[in-house]
Amino acid sequence: MKNVDLHHGSSSDVGLVRKVNEDSFLVAPPVFVVADGMGGHSGGDVASRIVVEEFQRLAEDYDPARGAEHVADAFARAQARIVDYGDAHRAMSPGWHAGTTAVVAVLVDDNGVTKWLLANVGDSRIYRIIEGRLEQISVDHSVVQELIDAGQITADQAAVHPERHVITRALGSPEGIEPDFFLLPLGSVERLLLCSDGVTGMIGDQEIEDILETVADPRDAADQLVRAAVAAGGRDNATAVVVDVVGLVKDASYDSQRQLESLESKLGGRQ
Amino acid sequence: MSAQARFAAGDWYAVVGERVTVLLPASQRGRVAALWDLADAGADADAVLDALLAGGLSSLDHFALVAHDDGGTRLLVRGAPTATVSSAAGDDVVSAAPGTTWNEQVLTGVATVRVTLAGDGAVEHVLTPGLSRVSVVELGTPSAAGSAATIETAATEVPAPPAPPDRPGEPVLGVVPEPHPEPTPDPEPAPDPEPMTFGEPEDDPTPTGETPVVTGDWDNDGQTMAGAPHPDFDRPPVPGQEIAPDVVSQPVASLVFSTGEVISVDRTVLVGRAPEARRFASHDQPHVVTVPSPQQEISSTHLEIRPGAGADHGSAIATDLGSTNGTVLAQPGLDPEELTPGIAVSLIPGAVLDLGDGVTIQVTNA
Repeated sequence: MKNVDLHHGSSSDVGLVRKVNEDSFLVAPPVFVVADGMGGHSGGDVASRIVVEEFQRLAEDYDPARGAEHVADAFARAQARIVDYGDAHRAMSPGWHAGTTAVVAVLVDDNGVTKWLLANVGDSRIYRIIEGRLEQISVDHSVVQELIDAGQITADQAAVHPERHVITRALGSPEGIEPDFFLLPLGSVERLLLCSDGVTGMIGDQEIEDILETVADPRDAADQLVRAAVAAGGRDNATAVVVDVVGLVKDASYDSQRQLESLESKLGGRQ
Repeated sequence: MSAQARFAAGDWYAVVGERVTVLLPASQRGRVAALWDLADAGADADAVLDALLAGGLSSLDHFALVAHDDGGTRLLVRGAPTATVSSAAGDDVVSAAPGTTWNEQVLTGVATVRVTLAGDGAVEHVLTPGLSRVSVVELGTPSAAGSAATIETAATEVPAPPAPPDRPGEPVLGVVPEPHPEPTPDPEPAPDPEPMTFGEPEDDPTPTGETPVVTGDWDNDGQTMAGAPHPDFDRPPVPGQEIAPDVVSQPVASLVFSTGEVISVDRTVLVGRAPEARRFASHDQPHVVTVPSPQQEISSTHLEIRPGAGADHGSAIATDLGSTNGTVLAQPGLDPEELTPGIAVSLIPGAVLDLGDGVTIQVTNA
């Protein structure tokens, strides 16, 4: 796989209402993850952290040619750990449960061609900027999305639907997980956004597009998205990871940008 | 002039119409039927050439075309064929220089055009409108070489058209035998590329676990809640279409791309200039085939081909995914048609899909 020069930024905020930030994220190029945990008694933040830990393991020993396999394995390991964690707690307090959403973006080598492999479980979202326009890539696994697909409600009605926070797939779900995957050519993504529903539930697509279009630095863009969500009410934890494909870099063994990226990955990403 | 034509048997196709004769190598079997329809209908050289090139030049390395009308004789030669043009002034050899698209000549006062495709056999059979398998074709008055002396009507052991030479206006396609069917596609199939894989399902260590009782404690801290999945909604069906199986055990067809790639249709195949695969599960990962489109005639995700379901079970079905410039489908024996975006069409072996920019996909048996 050619080396791809990625610039990225990330931001997360507990919001104005909740006491705990159950969102977790990972920035370890070429692996990016946002997970939105749920469940009482710290179950949610543990579940989302397990997802990030498993994808951190993936990033440490990542083979792009087997990227899809690695991603499927990381999902399966995270699922197994979250279910185990839930089982252990349920032994003491029946009804206890932990789960999390996940959105993942990794670069993979598909038969010699570098592509984005994207995946989602739940209602965290993946957007891209293509030809200067915002496009939602992932399709929420949520009750309202299913109602939209079935033609029973419109997107506007979904935003105020009483069941808008009910998701139909999650890591930690005893029925097992079914991530949806997306395989996109590298060149079809100018800018990538991974975010939790604490962002998309508070600000609309137009505002997201405006920020992603006008703020050049991905670190500032991620910051502004999260700040806008908090300013709009901050009812939920809000997390955003913004990734820019700056260009393809020659296979130089060492340069300052890669050194910086490696450092960032060890430190857990720029804030 | 066409009334006086002779050939030597071989494996090239001769599509002989009233005004135009097209000579194609055995590998171009897929184009022959459509060309015959045109040639038989009395189409002129431009119309026939148009149809000939509709599938793109990149998959058409060799051909010869001879058109004859009152004005003279028009001759196009691409690739291997060479033509010897005899006139009062003497003989002239016409062939395409390597690297050129073709060599085109407009000739007047020509007595004979002898096109050599393979070998240099004696042209001992009468060529009449219809389809023949040939190696050498000679049009016009018999050359002094003496081949005329050996002309006889179709010999029994050779694939000569049965229409009598005195009724050139009534060719009958149905009775022209195709003595050497050539199912082997050309170019030689490349080995299947190694696709991205999610690994074997057995590798999945996901435990199922028991179903817990979900109580109000479920979501004390947050707004997001898990609910019952509604698998029926996962992939909303297109009205009137049955949902196709994600992956079938036996491929229903093979796709031979003009780029040389060969893909089995055992799951969804997405073709385009920069195709995007959306919303698939790890067990139904589609084949994604990127084809070159220097003129940008092909859309990024242009065409989908997948195993059919219901009435189309066992065959491949193709759907144009709303491409900018469309997709032309030529099914054997039928006029080429433009696919309606979003409407799936069942493919039969021998069908050729044309995406533009010289990229074609031939459908063959799995």
